[in-house]
Amino acid sequence: MSPAVLDLPQPGQSPADPDEYIGALMRWHFSAETGSPFWLRRAASLPFDPIADVRGFDDLRLFPNVVDEFREVPVADLIPRGLRGADRVVAGVYESGGTTGLPKRFVMFDRWMDFALGWDEHHYADLGTANVLAIAPSGPHMFGEFARRRARRHDGLLFTIDLDPRWIKRLIERGDTAESERYVAHIVDQAAHILRTQPVGILITTPPLLERLTRHDDLVELIRKEVRFLCWSGAHMDADTHEILRTEIFPGIPLKGLYGSTTILGMSRERDTERPDGLASFDPPSPYIVFRVVDPATGDDVPVGTRGQVVMNHLTKYALIPNNLERDLALKLEPPAGWLGCSVADVGPVATFGDHTVIEGVY
Amino acid sequence: MQVDGGVQIDALGPAGPYRARARQPLAALSGAAIGEISQVPALYVRRTLAAMRAAPVVPGAVRFDALDRAAELFLTATLGGFAPDEYVELVSTASGVPRGVVRQSVEWIADVLRSQRHTVELARPHGAVADWRHEKTLTGSAVWARRGDLFAVHAAGNTPAVHGLWPEALALGYKVVVRPSSREPYTAFRLVEALRTAGFPPATITLLPTDHTVADILIEESDFAIVYGGQDVVDKYAAIPTVLAQGPGRSKILITADVDWREHIDVIAGSVSHLGGTACTCATAVLVEGDPEPLAAALADRLGRIPSLPPDHPDAILTVAPTASVVAIDRYLHQVAGDARALLGGDGIVDVLPTGGAVLRPAVHLVDSPTAPQLGVELPFPCVWVGPWRPEDGIAPLRDSLVLTAMTGRAELIDALLDEPSIINLYLGDNPTTWLRPGIPHDGYLSERLMRTKGMIRSAVA
Repeated sequence: MSPAVLDLPQPGQSPADPDEYIGALMRWHFSAETGSPFWLRRAASLPFDPIADVRGFDDLRLFPNVVDEFREVPVADLIPRGLRGADRVVAGVYESGGTTGLPKRFVMFDRWMDFALGWDEHHYADLGTANVLAIAPSGPHMFGEFARRRARRHDGLLFTIDLDPRWIKRLIERGDTAESERYVAHIVDQAAHILRTQPVGILITTPPLLERLTRHDDLVELIRKEVRFLCWSGAHMDADTHEILRTEIFPGIPLKGLYGSTTILGMSRERDTERPDGLASFDPPSPYIVFRVVDPATGDDVPVGTRGQVVMNHLTKYALIPNNLERDLALKLEPPAGWLGCSVADVGPVATFGDHTVIEGVY
Repeated sequence: MQVDGGVQIDALGPAGPYRARARQPLAALSGAAIGEISQVPALYVRRTLAAMRAAPVVPGAVRFDALDRAAELFLTATLGGFAPDEYVELVSTASGVPRGVVRQSVEWIADVLRSQRHTVELARPHGAVADWRHEKTLTGSAVWARRGDLFAVHAAGNTPAVHGLWPEALALGYKVVVRPSSREPYTAFRLVEALRTAGFPPATITLLPTDHTVADILIEESDFAIVYGGQDVVDKYAAIPTVLAQGPGRSKILITADVDWREHIDVIAGSVSHLGGTACTCATAVLVEGDPEPLAAALADRLGRIPSLPPDHPDAILTVAPTASVVAIDRYLHQVAGDARALLGGDGIVDVLPTGGAVLRPAVHLVDSPTAPQLGVELPFPCVWVGPWRPEDGIAPLRDSLVLTAMTGRAELIDALLDEPSIINLYLGDNPTTWLRPGIPHDGYLSERLMRTKGMIRSAVA
């Protein structure tokens, strides 16, 4: 049913020709028999014809940013009609963090999720069997399900903790520092109990929570002894903190980040080596997830080596989410040869976004 | 800190200097680049504070000897690659504080360091011994003990003299972490270097340059903190007894009718212009029983004669700042002055120098009531409000003063002023509000907050 060019590549297989890919993608999402009710409905109010006018990556800029509509739209309407069989297996409905207003909802498909999880697989290649501790949001957030699948790939057990990032944000928004501190201490206590009693090979968490763990010498000792891989995601980590964690606190334990978002149903992977300035660089899985970095004032692409606001695109047969202006600022990097868009480094939050002050908090 | 390509202000951590990848530019008043200052992340701050807490307290006698040595080093040594004169020049270039004023502040800091042995003795309650080993505890005595372990300093950059307060905490046995001003971090750096060279172990005195968000962590995680800033800062920390906010001093002078102000005009003018008007002890308001206008006119005449000079001129007194910020201060002054009558500075306080920046010229305004709101407006240059006072106005107009110089012979009035809790220091007669000596409290002895007495009785074997 779906054209082969839209199939996710097998390991070792090179990604599709970009222009051919984008063209096939437009035909898929905007044909009555394969597109989603949402896009077929939405196409009527677009001032251009996606199939005729969008012939390559650059033409995607014609699209408006529609993610705000994902706060209200019935999620079933986001499912492309053309998906069949194994392609149609849903992994879950996930929501954006709610950092900027009400959450947006997305449908995550099983096949895509497995591909997205495999994007940084080589980092984990030598770990073998390992249990996973995820000190990260579960519930409507994709973070938790990624951790579950990570554990499965390592024939390991997954240990989790309930963490409600939206509640922490409410507390911080209210200026209730004391209560948010108590909540985070409660999270750390639970993680500590798992670390003290269970072998954990892979620790997945956010930078603020990782930093909280390091305030306890006994937990640092336990992590040094047991944990063989530290994965961070969900918030910014500056180069100095990164270096102290890597060289002083957890020397010899790989510390790798993922930079992504529920709104792209996936993430970019950290490169194997840091830049000379100590910053982690992130490559998205082009052409399925593609970044741009733009001047917040004009919306134009900034030159490589310049900071700007991140625009994310999810471009698969499972979903079409073009031109999503994220809350982050980042340094634009040259992508690997032949890839669409750009890579990024030095990701951090924009101070205000729309009408909401962005609160990074623990997530 | 002196390296090729400019000055680097590194953090001075428990394990030595630390240069963060995150750095902010340091600039001279003229805009010329001086170098960079590290901005350490929260993680580094917390680890530093943890290491400081774990470090042993330096014994009292060792502390006082080290403070003496630090005074000498601070005055005379080449520290961080800077000889004393080079350091003074750097501070002056960066902050616009005249070199002469910087030198005065340096002398003051050295005096403070040298006199800690004495200051701490003066501040200790009569009933308390400094060391539990004292024989008095055998029969029962109070022992002076620390209430905490870590003291944080959130320093300001308007004058190096702000570093004259916190050495008392070090003398009391606290470990001190200093967050320097990002405009003038050189004095803090030099002082911390001097103290370390003099024998304080690195984990007992550290320098942590940070951005404002991280600076809050420093204050939250320390046992006590001293913070410099405006009224906003004072309000922010008003409810937190462990934070000593140093805000506007709103120091005042009162002259009653039994005193002829003409004999004291030099002291009054000096109170306004001392250190270029940048100190919180500088007089902001002068209240006169009788007609205030002649005094205001005489004051305007004295202050008007102070020359506009570049900060490197040996006779310079007035602070120089970037022209744009002087223009902004001028605009603000005219806005708040409202119906006050300008006797000096009414046509602007901005005096642009050919060598760059602008001098903040003095301003004298006359108000018609002791309750005029202008009397509480403190600005960072010689800016004074002169108004009338009558005995029936009482002490209300004199409240909220870091220093009140009362030129009066009325003992009952003096009693009332001494009993007024919001007057922090009371000077009488021919003494400027800016008078300071080591051993005399500035905002109480620090030990009033940092120390307590504990009862002790012990048997000879203990």
